Amino acid sequence: MHVDVLLFGPLAEAAGADCVAVDVPDQEATAGKVLTALHEASPVLRSSLGACHLAVNHAFAHDSTPICASDEVAIIGLVSGG
Amino acid sequence: MESTSVAIITGPLRSRVDEPTQVGDAAGAVVTFLGVVRGEEGGTLIAGLEYSVYEPMATRVLEHLARETIERFGVLRVNVEHSQGLVPTGQCSFGLTISGAHRRETLDAMDWYIERMKQDAPIWKRAVAERLSQATDMVKAKHG
Repeated sequence: MHVDVLLFGPLAEAAGADCVAVDVPDQEATAGKVLTALHEASPVLRSSLGACHLAVNHAFAHDSTPICASDEVAIIGLVSGG
Repeated sequence: MESTSVAIITGPLRSRVDEPTQVGDAAGAVVTFLGVVRGEEGGTLIAGLEYSVYEPMATRVLEHLARETIERFGVLRVNVEHSQGLVPTGQCSFGLTISGAHRRETLDAMDWYIERMKQDAPIWKRAVAERLSQATDMVKAKHG
């Protein structure tokens, strides 16, 4: 399954893009698998991913959270609002 | 009337203070915090901060925190606004107003909300260099 992972803030600046495309097997499409695929797909983000969480449909997800093709998926790094 | 309101605003916020009448005569404390962009960041003069916001998720998180604040502290109303995009030095980028029956729980709620927002809300800021701003102003002046 093809998943477009949205990037924001410092992660988007590091990647030079606001989205990274990854592929995960349909039967293994979970947030954890997407993170692993992101690690492989974007070497420039690897050092940051340990402090990141995946969000699915605007809510933080666990590694086991299932993902389907219509979901909005984003990687959320350390935040700095306020 | 809704007991919470959340808004993401493009650019600086106009400071807005709740009228106590919004919660009738139940509120004995109305506390407003305004976050203002400082003129320096890490010892360097800056022109402002550029806020990047994952808007649908940020709205959801800020709203969830507002409701949790009411449940946890028993306050009456939570209003929050946060900027996205460029906010120049000296301008307001974050506004939080909490109304409660008494001072103590209202001040505690204020502190708790801000700490949690800084942990959970998908909002990022980047300093805009003073020199870049001056260069931009010069270009604008040159080209009218």
